[in-house]
Amino acid sequence: MRRKSPERRTGLVGSGAVNVLFAAPALLLFGTFVLWPLGASVSFALTNWDGYNVPHWIGFDNFTRAFRDLSYLWSYAHVTIYVLATLLFEVTFGLFAALLMNSSKPGYSLFRTLFFSPVVLSWTAAGLLWTFVLDYRTGLVNATLRALGLGSLAHPWLSDPVTALIALSLVSGWKYSGFYMIIFFAAIRRIPQDVYEAATIDGASTWQQVISITVPLIRSNALVCVLFAVTGGYSAFDLFFTMTNGQPNGATDVPVTWILKQGIAQNQIGYGAALTLILVVIIAGIAAIYSRSTDRLRVTQY
Amino acid sequence: MKLFALAAVSIASLMAASSAAWAQTELRIAHQAGTESAKVMDEVVADFEKLHPDISIKQLVFSSADYENTGLVTQLQSSTPPDIYFQWAGYPVERDVKTGTAFDLTGAMATDGWKETFQPGLWTAGSGTTVDGHIYLVPTSVGVDVTLWYNTKLFKKLNLDTPKTWADLMTDVKAIAASGVTPIVIGNKEQWPLGNWISQIASRLVPPADYEAAFNQDGPFKIPGFQHAFQLLKDLHDAGAFNIDMATLDQDQGMATFFQSAAAIDPIGWWLVRPKDQISDPDFDYAQFNTPIIDDTTSNKDNVSGSGEGFIVNAHSEHKDAAIAFLKFMTSAENQAKWIAATGQSSPVIAANVGANLDPHVAEIATLMNTASSLTAPPDTSYPLPVARTFYQAAAYVASGDKSPDDALDWLDATLKSMGKQTN
Repeated sequence: MRRKSPERRTGLVGSGAVNVLFAAPALLLFGTFVLWPLGASVSFALTNWDGYNVPHWIGFDNFTRAFRDLSYLWSYAHVTIYVLATLLFEVTFGLFAALLMNSSKPGYSLFRTLFFSPVVLSWTAAGLLWTFVLDYRTGLVNATLRALGLGSLAHPWLSDPVTALIALSLVSGWKYSGFYMIIFFAAIRRIPQDVYEAATIDGASTWQQVISITVPLIRSNALVCVLFAVTGGYSAFDLFFTMTNGQPNGATDVPVTWILKQGIAQNQIGYGAALTLILVVIIAGIAAIYSRSTDRLRVTQY
Repeated sequence: MKLFALAAVSIASLMAASSAAWAQTELRIAHQAGTESAKVMDEVVADFEKLHPDISIKQLVFSSADYENTGLVTQLQSSTPPDIYFQWAGYPVERDVKTGTAFDLTGAMATDGWKETFQPGLWTAGSGTTVDGHIYLVPTSVGVDVTLWYNTKLFKKLNLDTPKTWADLMTDVKAIAASGVTPIVIGNKEQWPLGNWISQIASRLVPPADYEAAFNQDGPFKIPGFQHAFQLLKDLHDAGAFNIDMATLDQDQGMATFFQSAAAIDPIGWWLVRPKDQISDPDFDYAQFNTPIIDDTTSNKDNVSGSGEGFIVNAHSEHKDAAIAFLKFMTSAENQAKWIAATGQSSPVIAANVGANLDPHVAEIATLMNTASSLTAPPDTSYPLPVARTFYQAAAYVASGDKSPDDALDWLDATLKSMGKQTN
């Protein structure tokens, strides 16, 4: 009997072209729902389309206008302050919470669940909830202050340009620090116990162990958390929209709320598309620079 | 043979059923509706379908904010655009005519005396229902956009009269502020409530041609009339007239504040009116006065801020006759009377209001409309939206004390210049 010799693969399979066929459904979906809308946004951005009239090509006018639009430029200042605040109220606070709740003793699991619970709320629900809490006339915060005889401290928290952005950042911290707490908690639990045991034998205090062991060994997780906070922060929308929608007088306008006002509420879809593309480039740029500059810091050695 | 006959009968009945389905016309109607108006619309639609079994109606209903921001534009761009759609009178109608979306209803209005069933003032040039003398909007509602609603009990308690002049208003405001109550509440989160009021004030002080030029970006805003109007806002701010949280209170919260007697005056439109049983304090009572006269030498010294709304037939609709038939049915005196009974609003159809059991507050503002020397529509229904909204922002700056009148007007002119000429 003649043995079959190993068949040499030819044609579609041999050349690897068949792989394209396997990837086709995913490519089709990606093209339809990501690339095509992105391309459409680019083409809209070069027109004066208002959603009703036939769009006319206006070149880069929308982009040059964006750099003269002071409200849009200020929105980046507001969102940068917000991003810095989230690094403090969400990431740093999440880290402290993870350190404090890193225990297997009874009750700690419940604490972690409670601390995490706001994360499962939608941003819109959280925004509405806190709008009521911070309401000047009937809100819980001012009502409590008045009940304690501290009525003079009652304040229109969301209507004062000084306190509005701080209030939003605090609410954001309340809502999302639990997410970072869980990431840090998982990372801390992964650190081998013998490292701590060795440090204890060497006489290191708890604080020294945190600074010299825990923090360096969860550095790569911290870098990812910072990336999430920064890129997510620059595209923040729901909380701002539900709580203040840019008020008072633009003091809490962030890029996305401003884009929505221009593109949708004022029927300037072409201009809104141009503002969106600028935002996309900025966020992608920040993410790329951050990733490159932190590449070497991601290596964890035990 | 029997089997063959049965098959033939089945095929024949299937064909008959499918031809009936083909004969059925589906009318798509996009509109915004509140709870009460949605009920009446459902009833009108059901009655119409009974009368016209060959027409079925599909309603595309949105909330007011969704309709204005995204609902209508997405429906008009869809592959199955509505045959009839709700629209505000004024600039949106002009835009729809320009884009070829609005169907000319002049001919339809001329048949069967349909046009004569409406208040004649609705067909004047400033009413926003016509463009170049052609009718494009079938009005279903016309109302006051700004009037000063006030708490009658509070006014009585403080021994205040309703003001006849701006100076009287300032006197009242100071007296109310001294009593510890917020004189004027404005839920200005979306900025149009204050914007509508300051527009009415400005329209009385700025010569009409200059007003028109400024909003069309053909002239500056920093001119004496607008400076005067903004100075009046500043005077109110300095007198402690406004609620401290006006920037983040929405219009509904503003009205709630008024109904809870936490503020004496709410300058807003006809939609503030609430049936007695919906007000938590049974003793609460309210009335309204138009913005008092500021300068009795101007042509618009006692104008009323008001506008209409209604329905447009889509020029691209394949069922224009059915659409017109429905709008005729909807604006019949009988159906408009149902509308009045359910919503308490007055109707633009003359016969519907005769003997109607109008809410006294609605009757009051209907009288205000009928006796108005002139009507001015808010800028966000009369001029390009980006210009109107930027004007509203400038007014909000002054009312909150963030900018002086001159600084706000400088900011406004500079912002509009950087924006370029707006046409939408």
